[in-house]
Amino acid sequence: MPSKRLARVNPCSMCMPMGCVLVFRGVESCMTLFHGSQGCSTYMRLYLAHHFREPVDIASSALSEKGAVYGGAANLKQGLRNVILGYRPKAIGIATTCLAETIGDDVPQIISEFQEEEPLARDVTFIPVSTPSYAASHEVGYRVALKSLVQTMVRKSKPSGRINILVGSIVSPEDVRYLKKLLDCWGFDYILLPDISETFDAPLNEHLPRIPAGGTPLDDIRDLASSKATVTIGGLVQEPGAGYFLEKEFEIPHRPLPLPIGLDLCDRLAASLEELTGDPMPEYYERERGRLLDTMVDAHKVVAEARTAVFGDTEMVLGIARLMTELGMRPQIIATGAINRAFAEAALQMVPSSRIITGADFSEIAEEIMARDIELMVGPFTGRQTARKTKIPLLRVGLPNHDRFGASHQLLLGYEGSMRLVECMANSLIESKERRYA
Amino acid sequence: MSTIKIFEGREGHIQQKGDDCLPISCNNDSLAGVVSQRACVYSGARVVLNPLTDALHLVHGPIGCAAYTWDIRGAASSGSDLYRNSFSTDMKELDVVFGGERKLAAALRELADRFHPQAIFVYSTCIVGIIGDDIETICKRAAMELGIPVVPVKSEGFRGNKNEGYKAACNSLLGLIGTCDYTPKSRYSVNLLGEYNVAGDVWHVMPLLEEMGIDVVATLTGDARVADIQRAHTAKLNLVQCSGSMTYLAKKMEERYGIPYRRISFFGLREMASALRTTADFFESRQLKEKAEQIILRETARVMPQIECHRSRVSGKKAAIYMGGAAKAISLVRAFQELGMDVVIIGTQTGDRDDYQRIGYIVKDGTLIIDDANPLELKELLLKQSADLLVAGVKERFLAYKLGIAFCDFNHDRTINFEGFQGMANFAREIDITINSPVWRLSVKRQSPINSRSDLTVDMGVGDAIKETCQG
Repeated sequence: MPSKRLARVNPCSMCMPMGCVLVFRGVESCMTLFHGSQGCSTYMRLYLAHHFREPVDIASSALSEKGAVYGGAANLKQGLRNVILGYRPKAIGIATTCLAETIGDDVPQIISEFQEEEPLARDVTFIPVSTPSYAASHEVGYRVALKSLVQTMVRKSKPSGRINILVGSIVSPEDVRYLKKLLDCWGFDYILLPDISETFDAPLNEHLPRIPAGGTPLDDIRDLASSKATVTIGGLVQEPGAGYFLEKEFEIPHRPLPLPIGLDLCDRLAASLEELTGDPMPEYYERERGRLLDTMVDAHKVVAEARTAVFGDTEMVLGIARLMTELGMRPQIIATGAINRAFAEAALQMVPSSRIITGADFSEIAEEIMARDIELMVGPFTGRQTARKTKIPLLRVGLPNHDRFGASHQLLLGYEGSMRLVECMANSLIESKERRYA
Repeated sequence: MSTIKIFEGREGHIQQKGDDCLPISCNNDSLAGVVSQRACVYSGARVVLNPLTDALHLVHGPIGCAAYTWDIRGAASSGSDLYRNSFSTDMKELDVVFGGERKLAAALRELADRFHPQAIFVYSTCIVGIIGDDIETICKRAAMELGIPVVPVKSEGFRGNKNEGYKAACNSLLGLIGTCDYTPKSRYSVNLLGEYNVAGDVWHVMPLLEEMGIDVVATLTGDARVADIQRAHTAKLNLVQCSGSMTYLAKKMEERYGIPYRRISFFGLREMASALRTTADFFESRQLKEKAEQIILRETARVMPQIECHRSRVSGKKAAIYMGGAAKAISLVRAFQELGMDVVIIGTQTGDRDDYQRIGYIVKDGTLIIDDANPLELKELLLKQSADLLVAGVKERFLAYKLGIAFCDFNHDRTINFEGFQGMANFAREIDITINSPVWRLSVKRQSPINSRSDLTVDMGVGDAIKETCQG
């Protein structure tokens, strides 16, 4: 199913290092450094600042021609030293780029040299992750960063009885806030990782810290191996990651779950948490579930048989497509920029009649859209040119969203997030119908 | 000098005007780990060439380099929108191992067939420089096969800073210039170099030049078509606006085609007037000079009332400037003088020794001058200088906001036209609405009846914000 064409026209994915930032930013007092040329960090800072509307500081080892020829060890060490001096982080995530990977720098080795040579390095945790940009998309970058983080930091200690909640896909700060509220209300002890709820959506107050406050505490990450179970939310179609590692190395049972979007997938998360905790879902959320169902019933005729195109990150796309089928909508195109066979299989099972594209770009998505009489597009803002050309409404969800407000506050997960999505889709369809007959 | 110090090795990059010290350190590699605001060689080349509307811009590299630069420049087009697409060879692991040449050659064929561009630019990225794909030969062959210019851009990211990218882009443009014939429609003909038509800027300048009787042969590269570039050698004069990116090209064109150049700026009333006068003076035509004066008088009279109104609301405020290139930064200093504002910080990513000398000359004593800044330094400087406003790009916007400082986007993704006479009025309004927004007067800390120790004043309303607004 991946495209036969050689050139990508208008990409529907980003590169691996991008995913790392989303993980490291969700860790307490953690800075990201890209081992590569200066442009990589600047471009990704720009991209994420546009999306989250927050300052985004990402350091670079600023490799130049000399570094590319003789190796980047000196630059990397100087970079780490400056990050420690400037930002005083407790942890630094070091992601490679295609340049560093191709010149063959041994990053873990350089880090251990640095730790021996540099007294400043003593109290800092270093998390190396290999993310050659040409190897895979930002989603894979996110997952390998999460896995490296866990691999580097966990240590066995006495059982805590907690539950690990790994956020396995890129979601919004609002989504993470929602999950935390849900888990708090449920009333069990958990470790949620990574936690971008504050770090990518900081309140405006008097002091601007060098590293945004919040993130998963480092001690919690070290303790992940003491928990009684792991749930990866948004880990349905992903290759083995942090959760599998904890299962294999520390025998902590792992449940990879889809993102809770739509009634059924939200129920699946609820059922898993009930099984793991032995406690029923709080009444508050039973009522929220009822409101989602009520909204779906209210909207069913407006959205019935609507022909849609969903695109973007794998897990998000699958969740949205699922909600659409629950409503009687007809997803015609289910596309992702990632190359992921499990995604294609899951999508096919869900909507056998739809056109499923992996490794998609927007020229391909646009062609399919024009051939299929689509009424609604749902996905990142990168679909905007297609939307403008075809005059099809685009409901912006996920990363990136550079041209509308609210990316940080967009709730997609849970009964409440699903309810908002139902309402947005219904309103979009109503508005475009009104425009047509105006 | 009483200034801030955060990183060792950055001392020479920050100075205060009035200090008796060595020339500022600039135009060298960024220090690792300090979070420089600069990008890479590729980015420099890409921003210069991307506004060429009917060209296909193919990035030979992994997907990221193309993804992050897709339609990022707010350069507007009056024709084709091909340049607003993002094309990539999407190099994968196998391409890195076995070389990307065959994939590139096939991709060129495929894209030419699908999109029928007037020319193709092929940008090399970091990885291409390392694995050593021979882009030049492939481009040469493709040009013969496809019958259109296929121009290599030597923009491997790590080979320097943005300045190297500008140079690479200029060299690519030089490959196109002089390949088509043209007779200008007027005795007075010019090219506009370093004008990128951000937010449609050039459409507020071009009509004035045309009204004077001047033929603008080519704009490099805002709203330009490939054919315009190819005939650019036929103009009599090059007007260079963004000097950082295009002085190199202007010098080359002078060498090759004997076209002299003049540095001008279309931003700010005085600068705009001086650009028209410089052009008229160059052609030594009485008629042009008279026409220029007429236009200046008429347009100034038209926009002055609005600018005066905004000026009365912003004069005396303190501005900080952090720009990519020095030309814009210098124009901004003059524009702030026109608004009665003080510049307290000025910096650039890629200024050179000459640029900083010019900057040092026009700013007041006490102004901080900074080269290749980073967020930590910017934060300290903004607070130390008590700036009311920062003019910069998106990366700096949220830093300013978090510090409670007004902000104006003067970068390539702004959406409001700032050039020409009307542009200055737009700029004045932009500065006014951000500096005088009531949001800055809302209290950051809520006064609580429980915690009465709070010594913050209660701000019950937006009081003095309810002034008359200026008529647009």
